[in-house]
Amino acid sequence: MGGRPIAITTFIAEPMAQRRAGLWTDAWRRLRRNRLALVAATYLLGLVGVAILAVFWTPYSTTHQGIVLPYQGPTPAHPLGGDSLGRDVLSRLMEGAQISLLVGVGTQVVVLALGVPLGLLAGYFRSWLDAALSLLINIFYGVPDLLVALILIVLLGHSGLGQIIFAIAVTRWMDMARLVRGQAMSLREREFVEAARSCGSGTFKILFRHLLPNALGPIIVQATLGIPQAILFEAFLSFLGLGVQPPTPSWGSMAADGVQAIRISPHIVLAPTIALSVTLMAFNFVGDGLRDALDPRQRR
Amino acid sequence: MRWRGTLLYIGQRLLLIVFTVLAVSSIVFIGIHRLPGSVFVSERLRASQMQALLHQYGLDRPLWEQYRDFLLGLLHGDLGISYVNQGVRISPLVGREALVSAEVGALALLFTIGLGMLLGVLAAIRQNTWLDYLFTSTAVVGYSMPNFVVATFLLLVFAVFLQRATGGMLYYQIGWTGTFGSLGEISIPAFALGFPYASVVARLTRASMLEVIRQDYIRTARAKGLPEQLVIVRHALRNALIPVITILGPLVIGILTGSVVIENIFGIPGLGKEFVQSILNRDYNIVVGVFTMYAALVGIANLLVDLLYPLVDPRIRY
Repeated sequence: MGGRPIAITTFIAEPMAQRRAGLWTDAWRRLRRNRLALVAATYLLGLVGVAILAVFWTPYSTTHQGIVLPYQGPTPAHPLGGDSLGRDVLSRLMEGAQISLLVGVGTQVVVLALGVPLGLLAGYFRSWLDAALSLLINIFYGVPDLLVALILIVLLGHSGLGQIIFAIAVTRWMDMARLVRGQAMSLREREFVEAARSCGSGTFKILFRHLLPNALGPIIVQATLGIPQAILFEAFLSFLGLGVQPPTPSWGSMAADGVQAIRISPHIVLAPTIALSVTLMAFNFVGDGLRDALDPRQRR
Repeated sequence: MRWRGTLLYIGQRLLLIVFTVLAVSSIVFIGIHRLPGSVFVSERLRASQMQALLHQYGLDRPLWEQYRDFLLGLLHGDLGISYVNQGVRISPLVGREALVSAEVGALALLFTIGLGMLLGVLAAIRQNTWLDYLFTSTAVVGYSMPNFVVATFLLLVFAVFLQRATGGMLYYQIGWTGTFGSLGEISIPAFALGFPYASVVARLTRASMLEVIRQDYIRTARAKGLPEQLVIVRHALRNALIPVITILGPLVIGILTGSVVIENIFGIPGLGKEFVQSILNRDYNIVVGVFTMYAALVGIANLLVDLLYPLVDPRIRY
């Protein structure tokens, strides 16, 4: 309530314009005000840029050994130094970003493909389908996810990127399925669904044209918050030597290498762990920001 | 009458645990024994030697016979013998390692809840002060840091810099003495294991505390002249505890799985280290054994957590 004079036109026009704005315009306006989420999103865009750049160009080869002296600290030519085999850490970090993002996004694609239809069906039809899905979800919540992923990797005969994504998705689909189920369950009671049904819309159309678009906000938030979890899992697996196989660099396996040399050259472990932490944090900020923007009632 | 219900409930849950353990270990056993290749693939073995080894361990028999023997053994608490460290019995090995993991995990849980609740309560009663902002942002950072990153930073501080700073007088020696380690050796891995979850607990405690201290009975307690500390500790905290108890289950699972990584960094001879080692060694009997042990541990931990509910919230009863 400052002393700033407000023109009568904006005073009247603004609330009217706001009422006409759709969910997405509204959300975008709220998101723009969240500076932390914007900074995080900018960082992530930069990271995506780096990952794409790493497909075509890295300062040095990511796999050639002896480019630098082993355990070499940062120098102007190699800003992040060399690792235990004399590979350029910066180049490997760049390619590692690519792996992390691929796993993070790839996992969420699988999770969406599994969780959304299952959740929609169970929430809309209830009955035995819902009972079966709920039981399955509860069983999956009862087993330790990382261990299941580890075992899956073994059973799949480790380990290409596809297997890793599959193994992580199998242990992470329940959050999405449960969320979509809940949304579908509450949306199916709303009038517009009844209207659609009375107009003779088929089940498929009701599920994907009426229920799904209305549940999209929470789904997007859940998918965004699922990405850092998947990245974290990949880092865990690679840290234990069961994820991406060498010489392909992953932030997890780079950290594992670095821990061995923590006394003589800590930069080897610091580079990937800091990159990982900042990236996870950025995804969490963006996810929280999206949650506040898309669903202001659910503010925690 | 009250106790009969509880006992019945415990009985049902134990039965469910037995069933889960059997199911999980069966799936893993069959899955792993269907993998192509064998443990003994190694260039130094001649075909006849390989055959003899396979025969000695019963690996040349049909899968269903192996599975039957495995199940019979499991019902007697016998998980068979190691393929790699020949002649080592798995049950006592895994049992001992489970105790080590449980020891580290229990201390981590103590850190998680103690630290998390302390930070959460302090942030709540000093809402919107610098203390609140400091703790809340620390919680976000902690929540985004994988436990091996926390472990790395702790190692840098306590093992590397502390050694340099004190000229080698006082520092954390990476490693483990005896079966169960010393308190000093446990505390740093336990802290690394618990810290990411402590921030989850802190966030939750802060939120539920903020809700509770605005309620009427808190105003009543203050109005009747109770000292503020007593109001917070005895009246508010007790009810703020309920949401924290509800995430104890996932928390315990998280700490158990986190220990896989932490044990490998700190060289702790627990289940997690064994699990990864046996996978890398292709010592599949141990993989199945450790996984079985994990399933049992998770089941029992979840049961204990569920039994805690009625103690904190008398409205819940089994």
